Amino acid sequence: MNDTPRSGPKPSQLLLSILSLLAGLLGYIVWERGFREHPQPDWVRRDDPTRFMYGSIGAEKDAGIPYWIFYVLPRMFAEKLPGPGGYAAIGLPWEEGQELPIGFTKKTLGFPRVANNCALCHTARYRTAPDAKPVFAPLGPGHTTNIQAFLRFVIDCAKDPRFNSDNILQEIENVTHLDWVDTLMYRFFIIPATKQRLLERESQYPSIYRTDVADWGRGRDDIIKLFKYSLNPIDDTFGPADFPAIWNLKKYDSTPGERDPQRMNLAGDTWDAYSVVMDSALGLLGGAPHDSEELIEEVQWITDYTKRTPPPAYPFPIDTAKAADGQAVFDAQCAFCHADNSGRVGRPLPLVEIGTSRGRLDRWIRNAAVRANRAVAAMGIERRGLVEEDLIGYKVPHLDGIWLRAPYLHNGSVPTLRDLLDPASKRPRVFYRGYDGYDPEGIGFIAQGSEAERIGTRHDVSKRGNANQGHEFGTHLSGEEKSSLIEYLKTF
Amino acid sequence: MEEEQPPKKVPGVAGAKLRKAWAILSAVIALMVLLAAGYAAYRLLPNRAVSYVDIEEHFKYGSTGGEVNLGIPYWIWQAAPLVCAESLTEVADGRLAPDYLTRAAAYLSDAAGAAEARRQLSREGYKALGLVYEHDSSGQERDLPAGISKRRYLGVDRVFLNCAACHAGTVRKTPDDPAVLVLGMPAHRFNFYAFEHFFFQCAGHKRFSKRDLIPEIQALGGDLSWIDRYGVYPAAISRMRERGQWLASRLGFSYRQPQWGPGRGDSFSHAKDLLNMPWEHLPDWRTQGKVDPRSLGTADFPSIWLQGPRRKRSDGREMELHWDGNNDRGKERHLSAVISTGVLPPSIDHQALCRIESWLLDFTPRNYDDFFPIDNALAYRGAPLYRRYCADCHGLNGHDFTGRRVGFVTPIDEIGTDRFRLDNFTEDLAVNLATVFAGQARQPCSADFGASGSQTTAGAGGGGRLAAVQAEEENTYRWTHFHKTHGYANLPLDGIWLRAPYLHNGSVPSLRDLLEPNNNRPAVFYRGNDVYDPQNVGFRSDLPEADGKKFFTFDTRIPGNGNQGHEGPEYGTELSADKKDALLEYLKTF
Repeated sequence: MNDTPRSGPKPSQLLLSILSLLAGLLGYIVWERGFREHPQPDWVRRDDPTRFMYGSIGAEKDAGIPYWIFYVLPRMFAEKLPGPGGYAAIGLPWEEGQELPIGFTKKTLGFPRVANNCALCHTARYRTAPDAKPVFAPLGPGHTTNIQAFLRFVIDCAKDPRFNSDNILQEIENVTHLDWVDTLMYRFFIIPATKQRLLERESQYPSIYRTDVADWGRGRDDIIKLFKYSLNPIDDTFGPADFPAIWNLKKYDSTPGERDPQRMNLAGDTWDAYSVVMDSALGLLGGAPHDSEELIEEVQWITDYTKRTPPPAYPFPIDTAKAADGQAVFDAQCAFCHADNSGRVGRPLPLVEIGTSRGRLDRWIRNAAVRANRAVAAMGIERRGLVEEDLIGYKVPHLDGIWLRAPYLHNGSVPTLRDLLDPASKRPRVFYRGYDGYDPEGIGFIAQGSEAERIGTRHDVSKRGNANQGHEFGTHLSGEEKSSLIEYLKTF
Repeated sequence: MEEEQPPKKVPGVAGAKLRKAWAILSAVIALMVLLAAGYAAYRLLPNRAVSYVDIEEHFKYGSTGGEVNLGIPYWIWQAAPLVCAESLTEVADGRLAPDYLTRAAAYLSDAAGAAEARRQLSREGYKALGLVYEHDSSGQERDLPAGISKRRYLGVDRVFLNCAACHAGTVRKTPDDPAVLVLGMPAHRFNFYAFEHFFFQCAGHKRFSKRDLIPEIQALGGDLSWIDRYGVYPAAISRMRERGQWLASRLGFSYRQPQWGPGRGDSFSHAKDLLNMPWEHLPDWRTQGKVDPRSLGTADFPSIWLQGPRRKRSDGREMELHWDGNNDRGKERHLSAVISTGVLPPSIDHQALCRIESWLLDFTPRNYDDFFPIDNALAYRGAPLYRRYCADCHGLNGHDFTGRRVGFVTPIDEIGTDRFRLDNFTEDLAVNLATVFAGQARQPCSADFGASGSQTTAGAGGGGRLAAVQAEEENTYRWTHFHKTHGYANLPLDGIWLRAPYLHNGSVPSLRDLLEPNNNRPAVFYRGNDVYDPQNVGFRSDLPEADGKKFFTFDTRIPGNGNQGHEGPEYGTELSADKKDALLEYLKTF
């Protein structure tokens, strides 16, 4: 019988310590490569426009797509894009020399991920001549962005059976070298998780696949990004509307206790700018934030940026004498609603008075607004929030930077200001939107011709949600009066 | 009565024997596995290029990494022209001797010279594609042409293209003189289009299998080891078949274009291919006689001498180069060219490239008067004409590139040359190129310019709006300097005599023709002759064939081949004959 006492640790104890050590190491690796947050590089915050265009709002954690998957998708599934050109084919504003289009934020949480921010839909791109450099105006309407094509693209890729670890890793190996830890993580966790997440998006945004209505086209959406609307069940209403310009939002500031304050969003859905920015950010996040403080800070910065940034100046010469004549016309014809001190601007106007397409207005459900306000409050976020009443019509917009806010009317159904000054029956019935060449004669973007046709999406006013009737004001003015009015509007 | 008990085995002893036997067996198996693994590692792991100390050898035969992704196993390279002689005959377009097929099929007996004869036949096949074979010190032709490098990767020697394939060419004084290989000049005889198509078709050919290739390799004298013959080469053949088909599907766009001809390529359609931009919707020139206005970017291979002086132009920035001036950073252009050799970003051999880049900074072209005399008096009379008409855009002379507009882009409406190359490089392509090389950490190279601590000042630097600050933080090779332009770049004229034919699309055969207005320039001429024409300053372009080998018919009326532009009084096309002679003589000194 062996009764000698053992001098060292029992084998089982040794085994246990080795296992715990390994478990600890594994845990560290998983945290380091899967979750550890790194700040974005310094250049992102070097100036306000750059921060707006590329700064993270914290969407990477839940709504981010892993960078390398995002990178190879256009190469693997080029046929799912609207045309050749990778992500550029979707009309995303993209500065030369930049790794990602505007509105795409890259942040490393363990591994690099790509998510979106406001600039995706709120950056305008224009060119003053066919051989001029494209100019990007952050806070402008993202009239080239085909958000529906983008959302569909990533979901369609995920639905494709070729979206699997083998193929994606193969493609990634053609563009970069992943070390064995990353390769294992991509193969067994990251790629399968991404596929699942992207597939979930289809139920999150069912409206993007509707077959009973026409595509939204470049520069518009059927308001899915506002958090409230993502709670809506899909119903029969359809109201595509242009992405608005969001500069100079201090124009909406109201004094406390004001009896009839201005309101935000196309139909006056929301009380104040901060609430809109917050709700849009929550829409991009896809749900409750992980770090409310961080989100609130970023939303506050964005709100402040939108308030203090003026619109860009009209880039072509202005005939000041003519513009002065135009001011008289404006004061007589337009100021009643559109002047800053009119008491009507920024406030809803009964639909019957304006007569524009009602689709967008019909999307509003008061109970959904109530639910949304409660949901956001439950996240611990304070904001004035959505208006909890029925909406009567569209808001009278301010006209600051109106030159860059084409096409016109809330649903972008009128290509130029000159067209808007024509009665509806004379306005173009079919045109192409999302082309960035500017038309200094008509004031708006070039909407006809081979280039616009090749690049833009087709807008047919007879299709649901696209009607161009309404706002038939100033249509009786003489040609000269219209010209001088337009000249004056260039100065806004 | 006592029961008889069978003798029991004593469990301890017999069991011990069994366990011992088992232990020995396990040990032997483990040892065998270990040995096998060790051998496999030794055989399959190394990634080792054949390297050269001499920089010119390195340029001609050193690897830039292309073998990793698209390498052709050495013996398959040697066998391909013979096994796929039919495909070669099709693509070589009259450059192959008419009886090549017959000779390829006529195997000699196992005589001593039989293997060398077949190797020679193989080289003859590649020569028809415009590749050039040098001779080694004993006067024997080398086994691989200039422009093809070799690397051992995944257990097999592989070959593929390097810089010299497109940037080294030959010159002959007369048809009877030997061809001289000049490094850095455009490979005006290399038919890249035929080369690509040859391998696409060969890899898909019914004879491209181990049944045909292995015996051919043996006939070529390739002494395959047992493992190579039954394991490595069959696997390599399969892989190459698959890769060839993948490549043909990506690069198939060129099937729809008018043939490029020797000395030309469509690099930016290749770039679109790298990004897998679709081309199947494009019209097919061969069957429809139409091309898409934005999908035909065929242009001449450029010369690559004197990269150093190209880093400065009159405004302090670097020269915007590539034919349309789409990139003002040499490093990015070099990486872009390396991609054309088939290398994917992760497999580029940056050290090898760095050696070449450092060398190219000061590498000067061959002098014209190494071959032909220059009339110095005449040239002297040409100098003031040059200064008046050309220097502003093209620099002072062949090594001093000072000039107000050198390295700037001249708007297309002004220069008036063929638009296709310009329009092929689209804005969409420019922004997408900014994603290439993301995540590839930079390795130090003394020839580099533009990394942190570089000489470009913040404001004067080219590149995207944020390129300068991002370069500091990212420190990768990511391209940040591609941009869309709307004209063609004004290039320095170093070694201009060797850069024929002229204009970006090689549509004007000689400098004398360039000094004529467009309607006096040849509408049709022949490319691929390396015999020089000192009278007109360019390669001989009048002969449709020589030595039974056809040259490439270049028709300037085909889309992309237009020879209009760079004409008018400011371009010297209205000078008198005397003055043109003087100007041409002066240009010979560059």
